[in-house]
Amino acid sequence: MALIEKLQRRIIDLGLLPRIVRFLPKLSILCGILGICWLTLLLPLEGQYRHTYISENALMPSQAYSYFRETEWNILRGYRTQIQVLEEKSSKERNEVVASWFQEFGAKTAFYEDDLHGNTMYGVLHAPRGDGTEAMVLAAPWYNGDGEYNIGGAALATALSRFFSRWPVWSKNIIIVFSDDPEASLRSWVHAYHTSLDLTGGSIESAVVLDYPGSNDFFKYVEIYYAGLNGELPNLDLVNVAVHITEHEGMKVSLNGVSEEEMEKRNYFSKMKTMMVGVKKMALSGVQSCYGNEAFSGWRIQAIVLRARGTDGPFDITTFGRIPEATFRSVNNLLEKFHQSFFFYLLLAPRYFVSIASYLPAAVAFSVSFIVATLDCVLKSGASNTPAFSVHNLSAVIGFTVALLLSFALSILFSHWQYSSLLISCNAVIAVLPAIFGRQGIEASHSYQFKSVAFLYLSVVLTSLLVINFALAFGIGLLAFPLILVKAPMTSRQRVKNTILLILSNPFISTLLFVNTFEPQLSGLQLFHRLVQAWQKLGCWTWSVVCIGWLPSWLLVACSGIPMPYQPVGGPSQRLGSSTKKTQ
Amino acid sequence: MRALLVLFWAFLVAKAQEVRSSIDEELLIPNETESAGSADETCIAEDSSFGLDSGNSTSNDKEDPVEEELLNEALQKPVFFEKQDAIKYPFAEQLTLKPLPRNYMVASFQFQMASNNLSVGQSETDFDAYRHYTVFPKAISPILEYTNTRQLHLRFTHGLWDSESWGQLPHKGSKSGGNGVELWAVIEADSKEIAFRHWVSLANSLSGLFCSSINFIDSERTTYPVSSFQPQGDGGLPVFNATNGLFLIRAALANEPICTENLTPFLKLLPTRGKSGISSLLDGHKVFDSNWHSMSLDVETTCDGNDCKYHMEELIEIVFNVPNTLARAEKPIPKPVKESDLKCDESKPHDNFECFPLPQSKEIKFRLSELFGKQIVGSSLISESPSQICADVSDNWKAYIDVDNMLFATDNNCFSVKENKLHDLYLESDDTTQVTPPESVPLYVSRSLTGYGQDSGGLRTVFKNPGNESVNAIYFEALPWYMRIYLSSLKIESADGLEIEDVVRGTYYLPAIDRERPTHLEYNLTIPANTTIALSYQFDKALLKYAEYPPDANHGFEIESAVVTVLEPVRYEMRTATLLLSLSTPDFSMPYNVIILTSTVMGLAFGTLFNLMVKRLVPLEEADRQASLRPGLKGKVARMLKAFSLKRKKVDEVKKRQ
Repeated sequence: MALIEKLQRRIIDLGLLPRIVRFLPKLSILCGILGICWLTLLLPLEGQYRHTYISENALMPSQAYSYFRETEWNILRGYRTQIQVLEEKSSKERNEVVASWFQEFGAKTAFYEDDLHGNTMYGVLHAPRGDGTEAMVLAAPWYNGDGEYNIGGAALATALSRFFSRWPVWSKNIIIVFSDDPEASLRSWVHAYHTSLDLTGGSIESAVVLDYPGSNDFFKYVEIYYAGLNGELPNLDLVNVAVHITEHEGMKVSLNGVSEEEMEKRNYFSKMKTMMVGVKKMALSGVQSCYGNEAFSGWRIQAIVLRARGTDGPFDITTFGRIPEATFRSVNNLLEKFHQSFFFYLLLAPRYFVSIASYLPAAVAFSVSFIVATLDCVLKSGASNTPAFSVHNLSAVIGFTVALLLSFALSILFSHWQYSSLLISCNAVIAVLPAIFGRQGIEASHSYQFKSVAFLYLSVVLTSLLVINFALAFGIGLLAFPLILVKAPMTSRQRVKNTILLILSNPFISTLLFVNTFEPQLSGLQLFHRLVQAWQKLGCWTWSVVCIGWLPSWLLVACSGIPMPYQPVGGPSQRLGSSTKKTQ
Repeated sequence: MRALLVLFWAFLVAKAQEVRSSIDEELLIPNETESAGSADETCIAEDSSFGLDSGNSTSNDKEDPVEEELLNEALQKPVFFEKQDAIKYPFAEQLTLKPLPRNYMVASFQFQMASNNLSVGQSETDFDAYRHYTVFPKAISPILEYTNTRQLHLRFTHGLWDSESWGQLPHKGSKSGGNGVELWAVIEADSKEIAFRHWVSLANSLSGLFCSSINFIDSERTTYPVSSFQPQGDGGLPVFNATNGLFLIRAALANEPICTENLTPFLKLLPTRGKSGISSLLDGHKVFDSNWHSMSLDVETTCDGNDCKYHMEELIEIVFNVPNTLARAEKPIPKPVKESDLKCDESKPHDNFECFPLPQSKEIKFRLSELFGKQIVGSSLISESPSQICADVSDNWKAYIDVDNMLFATDNNCFSVKENKLHDLYLESDDTTQVTPPESVPLYVSRSLTGYGQDSGGLRTVFKNPGNESVNAIYFEALPWYMRIYLSSLKIESADGLEIEDVVRGTYYLPAIDRERPTHLEYNLTIPANTTIALSYQFDKALLKYAEYPPDANHGFEIESAVVTVLEPVRYEMRTATLLLSLSTPDFSMPYNVIILTSTVMGLAFGTLFNLMVKRLVPLEEADRQASLRPGLKGKVARMLKAFSLKRKKVDEVKKRQ
């Protein structure tokens, strides 16, 4: 008798297995709670996060003195006055004027005309020292993400380019882009750069988007945005470089638009808040208003946005200009592409981060929780006792296929006809259906089978998402979590509870509630419009993932509370009973 | 002591004379800027047989009376040594300066030399082999002989030639390569294998000679061009052994860094060694601090009957932005200018805080020594013709040569450097936008990588014919094997509705072999007048073996430039920019981490499972009993061992007691 046999006997003797099986629902709930706590409570604890550091030695941020100061300010003001005058003109006229300035200091310019997204001007400063195969992008959209005229940003980009043109140090080409807005038109330019533009400057390594609306000379602090589309993040080195340089110049950094008061604090709760804001920003990136770095996602371009905030303060606009200057000097030093530092991270403060190994368990916990729920449902449904291809077993699979097709159709149809209120009310009706039809009583096994397929699918979706887009996986896991609590509606109280849970975990209702609570930018029903826009214009998958990854599971769980029109022979509960008798 | 005094006195006298003579000369020329004349009118260069193609070598046809006086003055001076029959060698050098639009200027250093007659068919090691090198570099000819090379072309180029504003490349593009190093040669051999062996040995020799990584040329990069790179010239190439054939072989190393260590060997090949003549201007710091520079070396074998000779041409061409270079010489760091030095646009708001900058000033005056940081140290005294300096400028430019702080001008702006003095060139213009009109480029070509992701991509080449004639050109492309191109995906984008058949008249395609041969593509293209077309095709990126990645693997892989040879309406050669291809690159430390981690986990899991399955828990007595009960030989041995150990225990106990 080997040890393993002994172990098995002991387990049987103690009746551990049935106990565990009985414990499964609790276990799955526990896993979910663990996931939430891991991210929100554990990670901001001292010792769980790390200090950021520059991993690529070549970067050497702020090692060279920044010369964008003194009379460069006069020149900057000169350009700014002219740009202010241009506000009334069309983007094409504006671009032509700016292009003439660029040609004067030796940049090659070209226009990219997109019927949908307007005219984009870009200039290429060819690096005297480089081989012309790599480039750094400085982008200044004419209107920023909030729709303000980006006077300071455009003036800075012009003055900086003129300043750059005098320096012989460049080993990478510098491309300056003036697009209409930081979203679709910038993205469309990036796309064209990689498909059809005639004037190119080599593969783009990094991009810095300047956002300085208004003609104020002074500002208070700097905001850095870095979350790209579909969970993509720029290499941590680039963010670190930007933070390092900004703080080196004496300015304060706020990440992802954390408020000024919060930015000053350095305690447990502020770290938690900064991190959660970052996660939210990642999950909603492309859906929220974009500041420009999102446009570069997907081509292995590391992009960040620098925003000047406040109209008065101790720092002048050239100080802000020194951030892109020093960043470009740093990136210019690189011999290889950004690869040294992390691509998956969460920032708790400008100088603190957690890497993927630390934060991933939070999303894994949700996956596990749904897997455990699946196991529980499978065991309870008694599917193992029926033949694999029985009508009984197949009904869930067919149900799933129908739900998947419906969800897919919805994702396509809705992007053409956006009736948000109709979508919400339809979903609410479906959520209420079980409470109405469930009165007649439904078979437990049917309910469990539907639920098991639903949870299995959700778990697969979450698992495949969690590395690629952690924030979205975590968000879906969190918002879909109430599905686990849906139980077979035996009592009317349970039915009411189920309805509430279904409403809370509905992909559309729950995201709408979430966004309206936590994201003032997306109040009302604009969320769905933005989701579809992000998909159509930016190529952001969130809409598809929500529709195709989450909705089928929800539909199945909702259906699990509605009795099916057919009646399987014998009735499953009887079958379950008889089979147990046989084994005994 | 006395000798020392005498020497000192002699020195003083000489010094005084020098001062006097210079004063005299200055007195002779009343208005130095007005008088046209050169410092070296004593002897007019007439020998242009070994000429430079610019046709500027014969100088001034007009002679001023001032010159006569100068001549007389020179004759009156006491002459100690008369150079009657100075030995002259077939060497010529010329510096041409040509301002380009937007304040750029191209400086073209041209050196030509020829060897003595070769003894054809005689090996270097023959007992009566006789080699005499005069001006021809001693390093080159043995290499050529060992490798049976009849023509050798080497290019070191770096930078971007802005053909849209600068016009044609110098020498119609025939003397500059793509970014990096380019080498092609015509090798005589009786089979391709032998030719390739010679080629490798040639590349290795040149690598040592020019301190460059040319030795990285192997079969993976080597192509045998079919219609591009055809040797020019009227007479055919000489074949020393009639049974042999000639092989044209080419390879390029894209984006090979070019540096001072490549320039020094170039200068060492010259008879002047960069110590005198125009080559004394060349300094690594200045040459490589330019917007575009190209160094080329061409050696050709020419035969007249049985007499064969090597002709060698070395070119060093540099494009400067003049104001930037001058500013940099003055202030190495381009710090912000002082407020008083700001040049503001008066038509726009300007005050102490605001200034809309004016474009670069149109006026310019500078000396060559300010650009190069050096002056020309005399002429190359051994050459047949004196060193030439020419300024190819339009009418609103003034060019003077400066000898001993005196400025001289000529009508055609060409100057001969003859005396062993420091020379400098002074250039001035009040409107730099007026330059000699650049020759129009027959075709603009730009190439870029397209696509998304790590497994596939595309190449897109845009051809723009700005002229009114249709252009016939050959497009040559050698792509590394890890770019697996699909010729079937060749597509054309054209606003005029042109089809591929209208443009591509002929294709030569030699597919790549993994790790052996690059893709070799040559298109014969006809691009109609005033049209722009884009040819594009797709490729897959291959996965490389672990050891095939270069040291800085995450940099990407350099793709050499494509070569476009325009045949009609004018012969012109150009290169596209090089490209950087990013292949999927492993994280090189990760395999170790993965191996270590998985091994640990496997070990732990296996150990635990194995123990669980094989071992069981029994009391000690039970174990002893079972061991003693074991049947067969095994049991006997076990019992014996046990008995032995018991005995030993007993013995030990006895010993202890004692």
